[in-house]
Amino acid sequence: MKRWNSMNRLLFSALLLAVLPTTLLAKGDPEAGQSKSQVCQACHGLDGKSIAPIYPNLAGQHEDYLVKALADYRAGRRTNAIMAPMAANLSDQDIEDLAAWYASQDGLKDLSIQ
Amino acid sequence: MRNPILSAALLMLACLVLPADGAQAGDAQAGKIKAYTCTGCHGIPGYNNVYPTYKVPKIGGQNYEYLAAALRAYRDGERHHSTMQLQASSLSDTDIEDIAAYFASLGNGS
Repeated sequence: MKRWNSMNRLLFSALLLAVLPTTLLAKGDPEAGQSKSQVCQACHGLDGKSIAPIYPNLAGQHEDYLVKALADYRAGRRTNAIMAPMAANLSDQDIEDLAAWYASQDGLKDLSIQ
Repeated sequence: MRNPILSAALLMLACLVLPADGAQAGDAQAGKIKAYTCTGCHGIPGYNNVYPTYKVPKIGGQNYEYLAAALRAYRDGERHHSTMQLQASSLSDTDIEDIAAYFASLGNGS
């Protein structure tokens, strides 16, 4: 019985570890993100469809990828003269909200293997 | 970012000046063949990068200029991601333009 308990505990921990990252990433608020996105709109457009082809479309991009990109710009792991100062003052919540907003828009497509 | 008005003005100016050479040079048909390897990660919906874990970015319908700039940055070591740097290291300028043209062409109705 004792062995069974520790086995269950192990399974439960593994399950928790598997589930945790998705819950951590799902805290962005798209509406808050939209209102925080005004400065982004100058290049990335009103809803994440960019105004010029040198700027990436963000509409429909994966939320967790957008979080990573903004966090990388903020930390200096990814360098870009325009994005570095944009990301410098963002809080974690700002990043989550902006990512949730752009991910909720219709735009980029998954590729299908052809 | 101390002066938001100045920052916004500079940003607007940058947006107006930077995209001056927007001509698309790549051949999407050639790019489709060259992009076969890319689909191993970018062609599987919801596929994860690991360590750290995040979804491989969607690139169907991404902008040509941005895609080409991203591939050049990986190739030239200005942008860091071990798999992408390795993939881009063997690409010529023409390869990059063709691949970018192919992915950019997938934006409408795909």
